[in-house]
Amino acid sequence: MDAHAKHEGPLPPLWHYGETEHDPISTKTLGFWLYMLSDALIFAGLFAAYGVLDQPMNAAGGPGIAKIVHPVAAFWQTIAVLSSVLAYSLATVALKTGNRNGVLAGIIAAIVLGIIFVGLEFADFASLFAIGATPDTSGMLSAFYILVATHGLHMMFGILWMLVLIPQIFLSGFNTAVVTRLLNLRLFWQFQASVWVCVYVFVYLRGTIQ
Amino acid sequence: MFVQLQGAWSPLFGRLTLDSIPYSNPIIIFAFAFSVIAGLAVVIPVLYYGKVGYIFREWICSVDHKKIGVMYIILGLVMLFRGFVDGMMIRTQQVMADGPHSPGFLEAQHGYIPPSHFDQIYSSHGTLMILFAATPILTGLGNVIVPLQIGARDMAFPRMNAISLWLTVMGAMLVMASLFIGDFSDAGWVGLTPLTELPYSPSVGVDYWMWAIQISSIGTTLNAINIITTIIGMRAPGMRWDRLPIFTWTTLSTSIIGLTAFPILGVALALLGADRYLGTHFYTAGLGGNLMLYTDLFWIWGHPEVYFLVLPAFGILSEVIPTFSEKPLFGYITMVAATFAIAGISWSVWLHHFFTMGAGPMVNTFFSVATMLVGIPTGVKVFNWILTMYRGRITYTTPMLWSVGALLLLLIGGLTGVMLANPAINYTVHNSVFVIAHFHCMVLLIAFTIFAAIIYWFPKVFGFTLDEHNGKMFFWTFCIATTVVFTAMFTLGFEGETRRLDYLYDPDWMPMLIVEEIGIGFYCLSVFYFFRMLYVSIRDREKNRCGADPWGTARTLEWLTHSPVPFYNFAVTPQVHELDELAWRRANNCEALMPETYDPIHMPKNSMVPIIIGVFAFGFGFGMVWRIWWMAGFSLLAIIATVIISSFTPDPGYTITAEEMRRLEERKEPPGIVADSHIPRPMAEERIV
Amino acid sequence: MTDPHNPNPDPLLHSEVQQASLAGYISGYTLTVVFLGIGLLITQLHGLQPAPLLVTISGLAIFLLIAQCMLFFGLDVSRYNIWKTVSLILTVPLFILSIGLTVWMFHALGPVMAMPEMPGMPLQPTVLQ
Repeated sequence: MDAHAKHEGPLPPLWHYGETEHDPISTKTLGFWLYMLSDALIFAGLFAAYGVLDQPMNAAGGPGIAKIVHPVAAFWQTIAVLSSVLAYSLATVALKTGNRNGVLAGIIAAIVLGIIFVGLEFADFASLFAIGATPDTSGMLSAFYILVATHGLHMMFGILWMLVLIPQIFLSGFNTAVVTRLLNLRLFWQFQASVWVCVYVFVYLRGTIQ
Repeated sequence: MFVQLQGAWSPLFGRLTLDSIPYSNPIIIFAFAFSVIAGLAVVIPVLYYGKVGYIFREWICSVDHKKIGVMYIILGLVMLFRGFVDGMMIRTQQVMADGPHSPGFLEAQHGYIPPSHFDQIYSSHGTLMILFAATPILTGLGNVIVPLQIGARDMAFPRMNAISLWLTVMGAMLVMASLFIGDFSDAGWVGLTPLTELPYSPSVGVDYWMWAIQISSIGTTLNAINIITTIIGMRAPGMRWDRLPIFTWTTLSTSIIGLTAFPILGVALALLGADRYLGTHFYTAGLGGNLMLYTDLFWIWGHPEVYFLVLPAFGILSEVIPTFSEKPLFGYITMVAATFAIAGISWSVWLHHFFTMGAGPMVNTFFSVATMLVGIPTGVKVFNWILTMYRGRITYTTPMLWSVGALLLLLIGGLTGVMLANPAINYTVHNSVFVIAHFHCMVLLIAFTIFAAIIYWFPKVFGFTLDEHNGKMFFWTFCIATTVVFTAMFTLGFEGETRRLDYLYDPDWMPMLIVEEIGIGFYCLSVFYFFRMLYVSIRDREKNRCGADPWGTARTLEWLTHSPVPFYNFAVTPQVHELDELAWRRANNCEALMPETYDPIHMPKNSMVPIIIGVFAFGFGFGMVWRIWWMAGFSLLAIIATVIISSFTPDPGYTITAEEMRRLEERKEPPGIVADSHIPRPMAEERIV
Repeated sequence: MTDPHNPNPDPLLHSEVQQASLAGYISGYTLTVVFLGIGLLITQLHGLQPAPLLVTISGLAIFLLIAQCMLFFGLDVSRYNIWKTVSLILTVPLFILSIGLTVWMFHALGPVMAMPEMPGMPLQPTVLQ
């Protein structure tokens, strides 16, 4: 008892010849995009934890968020990360025409600006450590540090990735593998800007609201 | 470093000392001896028949989705066995330790296992069964079957597929290592805080549990990415979304859960790790920690996780039941819709695991209603399966028996689940064995479908059928065991027995406990029949060789390949015309037609990178557990270095020419899963990527 | 996604490379910096009450995220980007559910925590070590 009726007339072709590979670039960038979504959910979990641990009792008598976030100083970090993302994005604009020098210039600028961002963040943390506001002071501070530091860790991995790509561009030119990695890195890097928007607004700005 | 550790710590060995090895515990000595003998039973024949190179080249370095899937299933079955032994030990302890006058043996005051060891046993039972038995087997089945069902040659990312496998294996190896070096977590598979915090669990047990889960979760997330990309991008021509086999649909929705929920588990455990390693205060009992945060984050993952397990089981039912009812699946569209409805709603129900934690009536009501809503699409599925069988020509082969058993378990488990969704009932039975009986009905239905799937697809992968008689004995003994144990357990739940008790204070429970122990005896018998089924089948494999469609009434595309499936899957990519493509071909008398000409095909090379990453992942996990910082740091750097270095040497793959395809296809036995797979052998050439 | 007539196309011609837009990136950058600056100004100058202020900056963040999706990630419903758009749209509710329901349930605990301290049961737990 089959639901299928017999096909009228001669059978259509049963096999598909002319084997070509499924577009490798789109496959890989879709896979990387899916990874970015899972990364977004890591940040969702961290923001949820932060949202729970920002009650007064979570400060355990220590400094509250209002005392440790400096949104004006963090605005420089905002400029740094956004400029880094812009630099890298401009590198991918240069990629459209295969302009190797343009691509390399953009990547190097992105690396420098990324290092500035990480440096500013380290400096900020160091000043907080100096006043005794360390991650093990209270639950509230633990949540602050881990959330911001996770973003910072992503930035450092991105910088490492850019450093690895530079010799690959020299060795292989813009072949499929290198182009795929440049596209994936663009997704990754732009995502860091998006996460930073959330961090800046919901940690730094919101933290100063009483 | 930042935290106060109990016990010694040295820079070279971390917390590891000779005392970490429990050489005075007779149970563990026995377990060790058993594991060694079992291991030798595998290793010695491999050495004797000179197959070490073959195993390394063709299996350990394989990127073939079928081999990877089979290895996942083997891992899962081995861990299922160990989890079963853990369960048997729990039952035996409880039946021996009932009542204040129950005798004690082997250093225990009651029963034969002291409390801390008992706690480790039920913790490892839960962790192993859920994460290292059910998950790998279902992942393995998806790995093997989905590319075949959509007409693809392999997954989208073959090497990443292998990496996922080895990360899962290494997670399991960490749990195995905890048996012999150090101890395991004694805080349950859930690992509630602040019990799992350093002051209350100062030993390495919780660290083993934490890192095993973290490492294998990365594997699961990567696998989810792989499957979703494969299903979206690598379908054969004509395989439209409305022709996709149901098992592929459920695997897709399962992978969406895997992709989105597992990161939250990663966060929950990472924050616990921060507490245990860096001295932060996310969940501590003081200094601003919030222990309920862990419970919240864990169950945000935990509830979608159980749907991650049950949706592939539903997919298996949707494949097996139509085949053995000789009817197409009833209500294809509603089945797909129900699958996604279940996956979607499952993201909004997690608080039902902790109704009693004081969130208040409004919150509890919201989550209660959402939980009960999940029953609607599940009910749709049950009715669709029943209507598929209705007026079909049913053959009670072993897979069909397992499927019908699964449906009955789903009924009982589902109904008790809806009971538990009601906070008023939940408050009275929370933390009792009623809850255990409920979720064991659900995971056992998953086990039933796993056995159905293994027996159903075994002939396709290995080329010969499994012995029916022993298969049916395996089913019936397992079925009787399940009924006996869990009827008794529901009863005990109503009588007030709490869960996780190493010593039971109420001797009135003794009759039911004895009934449960008899049930365990039936499980042991079923294990015997399982092994006998394998032995007889392998012994008689030449008599039971089968063709492409061993069951005769299969409907979906994977049955179009040879049995066993050659390493390239389809010689020429099939053109898909209808839902249930094989049934369409059979209706048009063209199911046996093979392609007449061949094209060259491009295959990925095997690679050592996944196993290297796996080994260093184990090194990282072990180093972090014992706080051997140099080992953990070196392993982490090695993983990063391996990824970077391998990115400089991308895999060019290799091509099989049309002439070689013709020779492979026209052999009496095209190269199946245990044959050497490549002609020529790329692993023997040059540098391995 | 396959092109039978051009089995080895130049990767630079791929639509994902070609979709990079100078105008898009610069406007995304400008919008982000400007709107975050506006958020900073409003917050520092205490221009609003706390509750509406929170709503305003949240709205700023959501607006910027959507803008970045379109200007940076280039999400649309074209053949090359549709799966990215669909998967993002399916993920956003999960974000909202996990954070939103968590924050709700913990604030519903509030009344419990506001109870007066019982003697011998301090609300502020003692430090362990």
